Amino acid sequence: MIGRISRTTAALVVFAVSVFPVYWMVLTAFKPTKDIQSATPTFLPLPITFEHFGTAIAAKGFFSFWRNSLLVAGGAVLLSLLVALLAAYAVARLQWKGRRGFILMVFVAQMTPWEALLIPIYVIARDTGMLDTLWMLTLVYFMITLPFTVVTLRGFLAAIPVDLEEAAQVDGCSRAQAFRRVVFPLLAPGLLATSLFGFITAWNEFAFANVLIIKDQDDRTLPVWLSSFNNTFGTDWGATMAASTLFMLPVLLIFIVLQGRVTTGIVGGAVKG
Amino acid sequence: MSRTAALLVLALTLSACGTSAGGGDEKQEITVWLMKDTATEEFVSEFESEFERDHANLDLKVQVQEWNGITQKVTSALASTDPPDVIEVGNTQVAQYVASKGVTDLSGRKGELRGDDWIPGLAEPGAVDGKQFGVPFYAANRVVIYRKDLFEAAGVAVPKTRDEWLAATAKLDQVPDQQGIYLPGQNWYTLSGFVWDEGGDLAAQDGGTWKGTLNTPEALAGMDFYKRLQALGDGPKDSDEAKPQQTDVVAGGKVAQFIAVPGAAKLVTKANPALEGKLGFFPIPGKTADQPGAVFTGGSDLIIPLASSRQDGAYEVVKALTGEKWQVELAKAMNYVPNRKSLAGAVGGDPGTAAMALGAANGHATPNSPNWAAVEARNPIKEFQTAVLTGADPKAAAAKADEVITQALNSGK
Amino acid sequence: MTLVAERPVRTPAPATPKRRRRPVLPYLLIAPTLLATAYLLLYPLVRNVIISLQEFGLPQLVRGDAKFVGLANYARVLSDPEFWAVVRRTLWFTAINVVLIMVLSTLVALLLVRLGRWLRLLVMGGLVLTWATPVIAATTVFQWLFQSRLGVVNWALVALGFEEYRDYTWFADGEATFGILVALIVWQSIPFAAMSLYAAMITIPQELYEAARMDGAGAWRVFSTITFPMLRAMFGLITCLEVIWVVKAFVQIWVISQGGPGQATTTLPVYAFQVAQSLQRYDLGAAVSMLMVVLLVLALLAYFRQLYRQEREA
Repeated sequence: MIGRISRTTAALVVFAVSVFPVYWMVLTAFKPTKDIQSATPTFLPLPITFEHFGTAIAAKGFFSFWRNSLLVAGGAVLLSLLVALLAAYAVARLQWKGRRGFILMVFVAQMTPWEALLIPIYVIARDTGMLDTLWMLTLVYFMITLPFTVVTLRGFLAAIPVDLEEAAQVDGCSRAQAFRRVVFPLLAPGLLATSLFGFITAWNEFAFANVLIIKDQDDRTLPVWLSSFNNTFGTDWGATMAASTLFMLPVLLIFIVLQGRVTTGIVGGAVKG
Repeated sequence: MSRTAALLVLALTLSACGTSAGGGDEKQEITVWLMKDTATEEFVSEFESEFERDHANLDLKVQVQEWNGITQKVTSALASTDPPDVIEVGNTQVAQYVASKGVTDLSGRKGELRGDDWIPGLAEPGAVDGKQFGVPFYAANRVVIYRKDLFEAAGVAVPKTRDEWLAATAKLDQVPDQQGIYLPGQNWYTLSGFVWDEGGDLAAQDGGTWKGTLNTPEALAGMDFYKRLQALGDGPKDSDEAKPQQTDVVAGGKVAQFIAVPGAAKLVTKANPALEGKLGFFPIPGKTADQPGAVFTGGSDLIIPLASSRQDGAYEVVKALTGEKWQVELAKAMNYVPNRKSLAGAVGGDPGTAAMALGAANGHATPNSPNWAAVEARNPIKEFQTAVLTGADPKAAAAKADEVITQALNSGK
Repeated sequence: MTLVAERPVRTPAPATPKRRRRPVLPYLLIAPTLLATAYLLLYPLVRNVIISLQEFGLPQLVRGDAKFVGLANYARVLSDPEFWAVVRRTLWFTAINVVLIMVLSTLVALLLVRLGRWLRLLVMGGLVLTWATPVIAATTVFQWLFQSRLGVVNWALVALGFEEYRDYTWFADGEATFGILVALIVWQSIPFAAMSLYAAMITIPQELYEAARMDGAGAWRVFSTITFPMLRAMFGLITCLEVIWVVKAFVQIWVISQGGPGQATTTLPVYAFQVAQSLQRYDLGAAVSMLMVVLLVLALLAYFRQLYRQEREA
C-alpha cells in the first residue's frame, strides 16, 4: 500500500516537473500583460487573452518564417528518408563486402559536432553560390538527419520477417516488386516515426540558419527569428511565450500522433539489426 | 520506386525555389542594412519612396538589423559574394571591418560628399591609413532624460553637479513605487563617462602594447559613483539597456530618469503617449558645475562592401543618406547630431539636442584600436560592472576585466 | 542478443539458387548515402582541417589566399591555459549532466514499468510534451522562469521564505547560470532516455523477475542482477548518445549566457564559436573544433569498438 502511494506521488512529481515549464509558457502566452507583470503570479489563465498571439502573428514576416521552417525541415526529411531507405535496405537485407565498415561510418557520422563545421560549410556554400538559399539549408539538414535515419530505418526493416519477402519472390515477384508490395506497407509506420526525429532536428536547428541566410531576410527560419524575439518585443514576455507556443505546436502535433512507434524503433534499430 | 523518387525530387525543387527572384526585371535591387532604432519607420519609408522616385532604375530595400550578434552578421556579409550594398556600422567598429580588406575605399568621393565639413568624431574612425572607408552617418551622445512632472512633484531641480544629482535622485527614489533612476547594471557607455570624469580610461597604450586600465584608482572611483547611482532605482544588475528595452520600462512605470540618447524620448512617448510633453533633458552632470560629465561620442558610419556588384547604386544611397536633406530630416526625427559641422544649427531648437550639444563638448572615444571591437564582442566591462554591483571586490573584478581587455587588444599582432 | 522480443531479427537466408547474385546492387543502394556523406560531411571536415593549418582570419575569409602555418594554431591553442580550463569545464559539465540524466531516466523508466495504465499514460504524456518542446522555445522559457524580477522561480523561493532570492539575478552568477543550464539540458534529455529505457525494460520476460522475487531479492538486487545486465547494451548506447548530445550542446548555452558570465559556462563548442565568430580567428576556431572531435572520438572509442564487434556477430 505504501509502495503504491509513493509510486503515485513519484509519478505526479515527474509529471509536474516535466510539464511545468511548458505549462508556464502556454499560461504566460494567454495571460493579460497586467497579470504577467504583477508581483504575485497567477497560476490559471483567467481572464484569458489572445492579444499576445495577435502580436506574435502580426510580427513582420511571421508566416514566411513559419513556411520556410516547414519547407526546409520537410524537404530535408523527405530527402533523407529516400536516401536512407536505400542504404538501410542494403544493410538490413543484403550481405556484401564493406558492410561493417559502412555501418561504422554511419554511426561515426551520427556523432558529428555540426557547429564545428559552420565556417567550412559557409565557405563551400559561398563558393558554389548557395548562400542565402533555402536549398543549402535543406541539404545541410538532410545530412544532419541522414545517419540517424539510416540507423533507425535499418532497425525497422530488420524487424520485418524476411520470409514474407522471399515468399513473394518465390511467387514470381522481382526483388523491387516484393519490396514495394510486401515490405513497404509494413514499413510505413516506421518511416513516419523516423521522419519525426529528422523533422525535430531540422525544425530546431539554429546555428546554420543563422549563418547561411544573410541578405535574404525573408528566408530566415523560425528559430533564428525566435532567438531575436527578445529584441523584437522588448519586455513583452507574453508575446515571446506566444511565439514559442506557436513554434512548438507542429512538432507537438506530429509527436502525439507518432510517439509510440519511435521508441520501439530506436530500441530495435540502434541496439541490434 | 523511381517514379516516387522523381516526384519527391520534383516537389523539393519546387518548394526550395519558391522564393528565388524571377529574372527579366530591369530594376536593380539595392539592399541597405540599418541598425535597430537608427531611424523611425516613417523616415525609412519616406526615404525609400523618394529615393526610388529620383532613381528610377533602382529598387531600394532597407533591412533593419539587431545589435545583438551584429559582428558575425556583418563579417559573413562582407565575405559573401552577394552582400548587402550599404551597411551601417558603429563608429568604433569600422576599423575592424576595414582590416578585412572587404570594404570599398571611398577616398575619391570625399570631395563630392563634402568630407571637409564632416564632424571628426565620425570621420576619423571611418578612416584607416589615410583612406576613407566609412562615410559619417550620424552622431549622438547620452543625456539624462527625466520626467518633468515627477521632478516637480518631488520638489527637485535639475542638478548641475554629481553631488546634486545623487541627492536629487535619492529624494526621487523615496517616493513609493517610484524609481529615482533606471540604470541597468551593464550600461558601460555611461560608466566610461564616469571613468573619464575621474581622469581614467578603459585602456592605455604604452609603446606598442595595450593594457586594460580599469584597476586604477580613477576607474574604480568612476565605478563607485556608478554603483551609488545605480542603487537609486530598480535597474537589473546583470543586463544592459537593450534587455529589457529601457524605453519600454520607462514608458510602463514610474521612472524619474534614465540615461540615453535624446531620440529615446520619442520611443518612450510612442510606447506611452500619456507621457507626451512630460519628458525633459539635461546633460549628464560633471564633478563641478562648470563642466558637464564626459560622454562617449557614439554614432555610425556607412560602408559599402567591396563584393557588392552594384557599387554605383550603393554610392547613390550613401550620397543621399549623408547629404544635407536627409541628414536634417534624420537629425530632426531622431535628435541626432548631423554628420556635417555646418548642419549643427539645423536642429538647434530642440531641447534634447541642446542638452546633447552641451554634453558633446566633453566627448570621448573608445580606445583607438582595430581590436577594440573584439573587446566589445566579449565585453569584460559589462561583467566587471555586474560583479561589482552584486557585491564582488571591485579591485579583483577590475583586474580580471583588465586581463581580458589587454589580451583582446594585443591579439593578432 | 535480441532485445525486442516481439521483433525477431534474422539475417537473410542464403541466396536461393533461382536468384542470380548481383553484387552491384548493395553498392548502388548505398551510393547516394556515400556521396552525400562525402560531399556534405567529409569535404567540410577536410576543409576545416585545412583552415586549422592556415592563417585564416577575416581578411582570408573575404579575399582568400590563406598561408599555411603548419601546426602553429594547434600549438597556440594547446598552450593557452584558457583552452584547458574550457576542456576541464566541458568534461565536468558533461559528467554532471550525463550522470543526472542516466540516473533520473532509469528511475523514471523503472517507475513507468510499475505504474498502472492511467498514471503511466499521464507521465508519458508529460514526457512527450517535454520532448516535443523545441530547444529554442525551451531555452526561452527557462530564461523567463529564472528572470530576476518577474520570474516565477524567485517568487516561489521568496514565498517559501528564502527572502534572499527576492530579485535574485541568476544569470549574473557563474555557478547559478551553470546550474540552470544543467537543469535545462537534463530536463530536455530525460524523455528520450527514460522512454527508450522503458521500451527496453518491458521486453525483459516477466518470469525472470518473478523467479528473483521468489528468491527474496529486493528491488536493488533485482535491478543489479537482472534489469541492468539484460539491458547493458541499451544503457551503453543511451549513455553514449547523451554524452554526444551534452558535449555538443550549443544553442542553449549560447542563447542563455553566450558562455558567460565570465567564462563560467564556456564549453568547447561555445569556445570554438567565440574564437571564430567574435574574434574572427577562424583558424584557431577550426583547431579548437578539431580537437573537440578528437576528444569525442577518444571518449567513444570503446563504444565504436563494441559496435564493430557486434556487427561481426550479426
